[in-house]
Amino acid sequence: MIQLFNVTKDYEREQSALNDITLQIDKGEFVYLTGPSGAGKSTLLKLICCAERPTRGQILMDGRNITSLGDRAIPYLRRNLGIVFQDFKLLTRRTVFENVAFPLEVQGRRRMEISKKVYQALKQVGLEHRLSHYPLQLSGGEQQRVAVARALVVDPLVLLADEPTGNLDPDVTLDIMELFKGANARGTTIVMATHDRGLIWQYPRRVLTLEAGRLSGDQKP
Amino acid sequence: MIGQLPYFTVRALRNMRNSPVLSAAAIFTVGVALALLAFFVIAVLNVQRLTASWAAELAIVAYLEQPPDAAGLNRLLSEIRAYPEVAEVRHISRQEAFQRFQKRLGSDAGLLEGLGADFLPASLEIRLKPEQHAQTAAVAERLSRNRALGELHYGREWLERFEAFLSLLRTLAAGLGGFLILAALVIVANTIKLTLYARQDELEAMTMVGATALFIKLPYLIEGALQGLLGGLLALLVSFAAYFLVLRESLGSILLLTGIDTIHFLPGLWQAAIVLAGALIGVLGSLLALRKFVRFCQG
Repeated sequence: MIQLFNVTKDYEREQSALNDITLQIDKGEFVYLTGPSGAGKSTLLKLICCAERPTRGQILMDGRNITSLGDRAIPYLRRNLGIVFQDFKLLTRRTVFENVAFPLEVQGRRRMEISKKVYQALKQVGLEHRLSHYPLQLSGGEQQRVAVARALVVDPLVLLADEPTGNLDPDVTLDIMELFKGANARGTTIVMATHDRGLIWQYPRRVLTLEAGRLSGDQKP
Repeated sequence: MIGQLPYFTVRALRNMRNSPVLSAAAIFTVGVALALLAFFVIAVLNVQRLTASWAAELAIVAYLEQPPDAAGLNRLLSEIRAYPEVAEVRHISRQEAFQRFQKRLGSDAGLLEGLGADFLPASLEIRLKPEQHAQTAAVAERLSRNRALGELHYGREWLERFEAFLSLLRTLAAGLGGFLILAALVIVANTIKLTLYARQDELEAMTMVGATALFIKLPYLIEGALQGLLGGLLALLVSFAAYFLVLRESLGSILLLTGIDTIHFLPGLWQAAIVLAGALIGVLGSLLALRKFVRFCQG
């Protein structure tokens, strides 16, 4: 599903954020990206969703080279991705329903279809009773569940999650992990950046370890 | 995308509702700039109308020192009527000139007692077609070559001075209008930029869920257009109020014009142009602001 060939990312006046990374993630896999802060986990996710371009190397998604994708093509690539951030990135002026509906509106789906899918996605994350609330009226865990619903509502091929449980307490973290597990069971490839070793131990999956921009480990459970 | 226009319009209206102060500032700026422009246009159009009517009344007077016989006069009249610029030629006989002078003197007509009715020369009054008044000097030059005609009189200097004034007024209106429109454009762009700064998270979230650049920009362009449109309408309202309360009565004295009875408001086409100019300023301002904000990929 995702292939990286000798990918390097340099920033000006800094050492490489990523250095000569080659890896492959298969369709339907659940992969952890781990490593200390500054190891390059977020950079790798940004390269996969084309938020940044690699300095060298090639990245293939579902067999398509996305390395030099133009600005016009990037939105269409992202419609196959679900992205979850540590800080949720919800639209605070919109209700829970509108937040989850947004990726479908962007794709020009019909209103009836949007309503149905949003309700299903919110039911999946257990927030169907909160659909007319605004994000800031919800707890951190609930906000992240809304963000997961927003990512999953489009049935993405790949879900990218950057420290999705970093701001959450342990009980809520388990809720989020159960949601990811469910999505993965339905066929979504999941790439999750985390430095929570306990979580990896609790939900054992393939672990890619990054250290100072280099791939230092690739362990399968 | 066009099918989604109501959706974008609702979002634009919601954006405006969420930032009422900024929206009002943009509308007000466009309104003031276009209202000032409208005042100038009202002045220019009225002065232009006045010169056109004066020019239409303006005649070249050619004096006939040796009045020709009837056949010669008819020949002369048909010759001048054949000029493409000429609308009408009238022969003013000595008697008619005397009677006119008498009438003009009114109660002082007694001064003419003892003078014969033929002490004034006969003349030809030549009126040009309204669209040809700029050719007055050229026609006069051609007439001066005709030996049957004596001295020629027309308000050349006066007309030229007035046209110079009109052209100055036009240049001023264009310069000031250009400056005001530019200022309004910058202010609208900055207003939209401020709202974009406030919504940077939203823009980022939009790009991450697969929104195209047009999808992200369109509500802001519509917002700009709506603000500009409202600014244009405000300008019309303000300029109409100013026209109704002040300009209608006093524009003539402000511009030191006499003989101007009614000051007209902007014609319909100009009113539409002012409103459309507002919308255009809004759209361009938004485009300027959006240039740097919607980015899908860094480096």
